[in-house]
Amino acid sequence: MHDCCIRIGGEAGQGLRSVGQLLAKALQASGYHLFSNQDYESRVRGGHNFYNIRFGAQPIASPSPRVDILVALDNETTTRHMDSVNPNGVVIYDPGFKGIQCDDPQRCFAVPFTEIAEKHGSKIMANTAAVAAVWGVLGKDLSLIEEFLLDTFSEKGDKVVQSNIAVAREGYELAAENWTNRLEVPEPGADGQGQILIGGNSAIAVGAIAAGVKFMSAYPMSPSTSITEYIATQGKEFNIVMEQAEDEIAAVVMAIGASYAGVRAMTATSGGGLALMGEAVSMAGMNETPIVIVDAQRPGPATGLPTRTAQEDLNFAIHLGHGEFPKIILAPATHEQAFALTAEAFNLADAFQCPVIVLTDQHLADAQKTLAPFDFDSVSIDRGELVTSDEEAGPDYKRYQVTESGISKRFVPGFGKSLVVYVTDEHNEEGHLIEDAEIRVTQMDKRMRKLELARAQMPAPEEYGASEAEIGLVCWGSTYGAVREAVDVLNHEGLKSKMVHWSHVWPIDPQTAQAAVDGVDELVAVEQNFTGQFARLLRAEAQIECGSKVLRYDGRPLTAEDIVTQVKQIRGEN
Amino acid sequence: MVELADYKANRGTAWCPGCGNFGILNAVQRALVKLGKAPHEVVIVSGIGQAPKLPHYMNVNTFNGLHGRSLPAATAIKLANRDLTVIVVGGDGDGYAEGGNHFLHAMRRNIDITYLVHDNQIYGLTKGQASPTTETGYVTGTSPWGVLTAPFSPLPMAVDANISFAARSFSGDQDHLVDTIVAAVNHKGFSFVDILQPCVSFNNLNTHQWYRERVTPIDSSHNPKDRRAAWELAQQWGDQIPIGVIYEGDRPAYDELVPAIKTTPLVKQTRVDEKLHLLNKDFLARPERD
Repeated sequence: MHDCCIRIGGEAGQGLRSVGQLLAKALQASGYHLFSNQDYESRVRGGHNFYNIRFGAQPIASPSPRVDILVALDNETTTRHMDSVNPNGVVIYDPGFKGIQCDDPQRCFAVPFTEIAEKHGSKIMANTAAVAAVWGVLGKDLSLIEEFLLDTFSEKGDKVVQSNIAVAREGYELAAENWTNRLEVPEPGADGQGQILIGGNSAIAVGAIAAGVKFMSAYPMSPSTSITEYIATQGKEFNIVMEQAEDEIAAVVMAIGASYAGVRAMTATSGGGLALMGEAVSMAGMNETPIVIVDAQRPGPATGLPTRTAQEDLNFAIHLGHGEFPKIILAPATHEQAFALTAEAFNLADAFQCPVIVLTDQHLADAQKTLAPFDFDSVSIDRGELVTSDEEAGPDYKRYQVTESGISKRFVPGFGKSLVVYVTDEHNEEGHLIEDAEIRVTQMDKRMRKLELARAQMPAPEEYGASEAEIGLVCWGSTYGAVREAVDVLNHEGLKSKMVHWSHVWPIDPQTAQAAVDGVDELVAVEQNFTGQFARLLRAEAQIECGSKVLRYDGRPLTAEDIVTQVKQIRGEN
Repeated sequence: MVELADYKANRGTAWCPGCGNFGILNAVQRALVKLGKAPHEVVIVSGIGQAPKLPHYMNVNTFNGLHGRSLPAATAIKLANRDLTVIVVGGDGDGYAEGGNHFLHAMRRNIDITYLVHDNQIYGLTKGQASPTTETGYVTGTSPWGVLTAPFSPLPMAVDANISFAARSFSGDQDHLVDTIVAAVNHKGFSFVDILQPCVSFNNLNTHQWYRERVTPIDSSHNPKDRRAAWELAQQWGDQIPIGVIYEGDRPAYDELVPAIKTTPLVKQTRVDEKLHLLNKDFLARPERD
């Protein structure tokens, strides 16, 4: 599989994000499949950040540690990333940077971004020169970049547009003269046109809107905030109320209140905010309110690494909330699943009248990927036992009527004369407080029946790779892309391997779990945490033992290369 | 025609005989009848404590949630269905301690809900610990040497926070309490009533008699629109405790400003199917322009 990786490095506030986004858009428009991710610090200015774009003819779902084109917007980029640049790669840098070090004549390509920009009016256009130089190195037609520059700057007037185009032409020509054809660049595949380019958080937000979410409340917290912002910006078009809460406790309680009143409701946060939501999640378990909570995980404990990635909240999410009650946890593997599983989360919450947590992470949240446009016809809305008339509620309506399934009719207050009582104390069928031991047991059993019903409906894990595998890579959530790619590499190199991946991580069905790992010689848990939380879960729930683990907990996303290297070490091949 | 009987339930209560809560329960029911609201048009939201059990002792839609967290739940219920009359009941511990932050932000938002605080200046359900409004020096289970802090004054703070409606009433003065609740519910925006009530089991300082001797209906010369005068009046506490409407502003209610619900309550709206395809356009390289 031949693909190409661009990395743009610089300080926060230098506009490396706009450079990356312009290049990504241009590659998307050219019909490439691409995957981009960002490595950024928890600050607004300064520090060291970089933006990766990996593109090629085939779908790509994980980052690469190797770089073909490095764009240095500061000195530190060359110092830090030179070792990642392939031998036939190129480092594009501005020789005007004070003290810049780039000594390898094979790879270093000086493009005076600032000087070119100043010549045409202002150094503010230096990034345009950088974009154009990359485009020249790739040997692509500049007219596409000119089209996007026109789009970006047309509001600022013709002069700004023309100056930017002049800067782009000079940067492009310099690259075309000096570097075209020195780099092997893949051609786009036949199926790449008309794709969307979307981040994991946006995919979650679009999934929620497709599911008919009507209310969201949240408190800003990285890396979840862009979900909240996207829903807020769509509020007017799609009649959604997004309420910025005073804290995460208010956020989740508001979502539960809105759900009580009959609308689909959600909140989004990260680990620290999820911790504050614990008591209310327990409330939603007790008063049987559907609620969708997105947890965009980042490394902890405490504030941890706010802008980096982890899969550390699995144990916590499963056990979140005091007492025992049903809950469902989904962990999207890909951008496609970020959309589809979020929509499914709302149906599951309504079906089982319980909290559903969508566990994503900073990596999936911020990474952007090209994919086929979403098929909104594929999203059906099923509100379960929600009832909106006295006829449906029946005479003598009882919110917590004991049923065989454990699911009771959920009447929407104000939609008829039936009265609906939600409560957090233990209660009778009407929802009034009780102390009676027998009623307690009846209500507890009723609620917990829903967990078993949900367990039976959880789909089997996804298997990919060799059928009689020596190595089984056990994984969940967003490591999917990297693990799948690692499986391809290992099989290609002659080690029969397969991936077993869970997106529905709670409750676990032991039968489908065992069937998926049956016959595999050695199971290796691949996770972005220290302890192997999912491996422990599988042991507890399905008596499946992972003999070894590939764990990454430095806050950076796992790559296929990491996994292949460590699997080889486990096999004693290195 | 709504009648008091529509609201009356016969489930017994877990309150002590002589508790001020009985008077408040009765006044809430009478006020709702006076307002012409039927039980299914009303939601009473509460937290945890003795006061928050109130909706269980009448027939009404109920959301009895977590300690201190009733205001966010009520806010969202109103945002989800503007047609509902949403009333929050709670105690001084529930509202001024655990839920203090939400009280601040409810005043700021100014959503059209009514907040009734049963203020008995003590924790009742947990059997007699100091609350934020317990008087300095009063000996409780958690303040064996007497409360060392100054009591929290909800009304001056509310006026200072530019609340849109603030009043005080007394559980022992039924007619006054009913009229105050009616005025609070009729007010468009966040309305708050601090209701003085005795705790017969754990507060032997602020007794029924103690309140009875002090509460004084606010003179008709007071202009509740005058925020400075309201702030002065809200400070009064001691030999005379003014009861009645202290402040009434005219800020627009939050739920009147939210674009998505200006014409139709949220719960009566469905997914906007015909626009869904536009969401893909946001992410195309070159969105076709309409």
